[in-house]
Amino acid sequence: MSRARKKFALAIAIFVLGAGYLAFTGARGSMAYYLTVGELLDRGAALRGASVRLNGRVLPGVAWDQVSGRLAFTITDGTRQIPVAYRGVVPDTFKPGAEVVLEGTYDGATFTAIRLFAKCPSKFEAKPGGV
Amino acid sequence: MSEIGNLSVALAALVSAYGLVAALLGAGLGRADLQHSARNATYALFLLLTVASAVLLWQLLARDFGNAYVASYTSRDLGFWYTVSAWWAGQAGSLLFWAWLLAGFGALVVWRQSAYRELMPYVVATVMGTSSFFTLLLALVSSPFARLPFPPADGQGLNPLLQNPGMFFHPPTQYLGYVGFTIPFAFAVAAMATKRLDDEWIRATRRWTLASWFFLSLGILFGMQWAYVELGWGGYWAWDPVENASLMPWLTGTAFLHSVMIQEKRDMLKVWNLVLIILTFGLSIFGTFLTRSGVLSSVHSFALSSLGPLFFAFIALVLIVSFTLLAVRLPWLKSEGDLDSLVSREASFLFNNLILVGAAFSVFLGTIFPLVSEAVRGVKISVGAPFFNQVNIPIGLALLLVMGLCPLLAWRKASAANLSRNFLAPGALGLLTAFLLRVRGVGQPVAVAAFALCAFVTATILLDFHRGAMVRRSHGEPYPVALGRLVLRNRRRYGGYIVHLGVILLFAGMAGGAFRTEREAVLRQGQTVAINQYTLRYEGLSQYPTPGALVTAATLTVFNGDEPVGVLNPQRNIHRGHEEQPMTEVAIRSTLLEDLYVILAGIGEDGSANFRVIVNPLMMWMWIGGALLSLGTLVAFWPERREALRARARYLLVGAEA
Repeated sequence: MSRARKKFALAIAIFVLGAGYLAFTGARGSMAYYLTVGELLDRGAALRGASVRLNGRVLPGVAWDQVSGRLAFTITDGTRQIPVAYRGVVPDTFKPGAEVVLEGTYDGATFTAIRLFAKCPSKFEAKPGGV
Repeated sequence: MSEIGNLSVALAALVSAYGLVAALLGAGLGRADLQHSARNATYALFLLLTVASAVLLWQLLARDFGNAYVASYTSRDLGFWYTVSAWWAGQAGSLLFWAWLLAGFGALVVWRQSAYRELMPYVVATVMGTSSFFTLLLALVSSPFARLPFPPADGQGLNPLLQNPGMFFHPPTQYLGYVGFTIPFAFAVAAMATKRLDDEWIRATRRWTLASWFFLSLGILFGMQWAYVELGWGGYWAWDPVENASLMPWLTGTAFLHSVMIQEKRDMLKVWNLVLIILTFGLSIFGTFLTRSGVLSSVHSFALSSLGPLFFAFIALVLIVSFTLLAVRLPWLKSEGDLDSLVSREASFLFNNLILVGAAFSVFLGTIFPLVSEAVRGVKISVGAPFFNQVNIPIGLALLLVMGLCPLLAWRKASAANLSRNFLAPGALGLLTAFLLRVRGVGQPVAVAAFALCAFVTATILLDFHRGAMVRRSHGEPYPVALGRLVLRNRRRYGGYIVHLGVILLFAGMAGGAFRTEREAVLRQGQTVAINQYTLRYEGLSQYPTPGALVTAATLTVFNGDEPVGVLNPQRNIHRGHEEQPMTEVAIRSTLLEDLYVILAGIGEDGSANFRVIVNPLMMWMWIGGALLSLGTLVAFWPERREALRARARYLLVGAEA
């Protein structure tokens, strides 16, 4: 191995370690459980107050105060349900039947979301008759 | 009509399979007639898929709602161009679009590049193998010609979100990029299969690579533009899996584009280049799959999507075959050149590659993190935007730095004279920029570093333009002519520089995001909201129908200081057929300095309205950077006749010796 190669290997090692450190701290800072409705209900007590990403489908019956931006709805995994409270900008893709990912916390009764991502199924796929 | 479509697709699948077998047999047995027949099969494939596409387009335009795909994505009131865009709006149609592009590219290669006689059977085999997969999907799993038993009176219409010029252009450009990388990959496979492992395959596909990279870049930019104006949350990038899927092949493709230069010039990195193109192709297929199914957004949809297992099987097959071939050929892939110094152009190219691949890897890891954590710890854990930002912002800054250093470092070993000549003045300018920004009270260290690096890199590039032009001027050309000829006579080099200038503007635009400000306000008629130097007065609501929608528009008068500068009309529209999904249409006032971005978030019963107002600094420079990047690619792409002739002569010479 030539000297330049050794130096280069060292530089690579430093780069990889640096990137790894950034990735590690970044991941630790933004890691959250990624759960379905049923999984969250099963683990409910253990996850009280923890940061959770929750995935499910919006049920019909959405209460939305457009002026305050307060939104209350229920999401389901097909069998079980969790009520959700959210305040903020509602994406256009949000509607009953849409699949959503919520970021927030669960207090055992209501899921309080601080972020709301919605993926309308018909954005990429034809939707045969709603939910 | 649908029968013709179905028949064409079925025949296309058969022709693909035949082409694959004939090409491989033809090469293996040395049968010229089989090779010839396989080449002709690409023309047949293109013809068949063109017929299928024409049938689909005809049915879309004729509103043949008996076709399930047509009924799902169009309606009677949809305009001509958006009806055309329905071709790639849904899964089945976009798969047909993919296969059609691939067949077109395959036919183009066979037609224009058949001089690469020994490589061609394997190139054809790779294209046909890929095409077999897509045509089989079309024929058996996801047909765009499925019929409905009872045709509806009207279709469901195109999702209003997709009715935007950005969405007309984004998918085709993205796909041109994804599909285009098949050709360099096919030549790489052919080079490995035939042991013709010098830089022939790279020279043969240089322009394919460049064009694919260009369309991928353009696709990402159109996507960002669409997200910015249509999704209405004030940003253009959210590290969504679908976005990540388009970014990953772009990152590895960019690395490939650069590292092949090292192989051409110094005969190094042969294995690495093959690895990069294999990864880029694999990620392109992965990207197609993710955008088509949106799988990673939900926790359990891998199993739910019928395409998922098939795509994964295909990607696995591609990776296993390519890497096995690569492993078998390792003894033929010894590098002739070696790394002489850490401060040399080779080394800086290596760092550029390391950075780009590192970024791609981090994005990949973040995207599939839930799957990994479930496999390792039995629980799905996902990472959000902070992860991607924390890793990729430093990586981006490092990339910017290398972009300034790389093109001007000497080959082999840079001398102190070389360093001071090229970097002293730009380095000083960069530091001065940082200093001035700090003095002016700009507090964001990351943004300050980004702007300083932008200034540094811009200076190195302009300095090199200037020096080149001065040399020509000393031979008697006036300065502007000298500058123009300099670029035209060295298109690859100076085209590349222009692309770099575009990328710098993109970085500057992204750095501007650090100074974004945001206000939220519920206003009654006549009330105002202030943000930075702007004041917006809410004048009232108006409602009117258009052919496709009921529009509710707010009127806001914008004051810059005390001076009225314009009126903004953010809207909430109810589209016919999508009543449950009101569409926010943002209003944007763009200047070179900043965008004023207004969202009508909600409307109260009493006429009061909820606004979100955002000031996005330097946004315009992102789009200008994108235009400059396109211009630069065009310059680098424009054929140099002499080079083409040389390459051909070289090829014939090598062929004669063999």
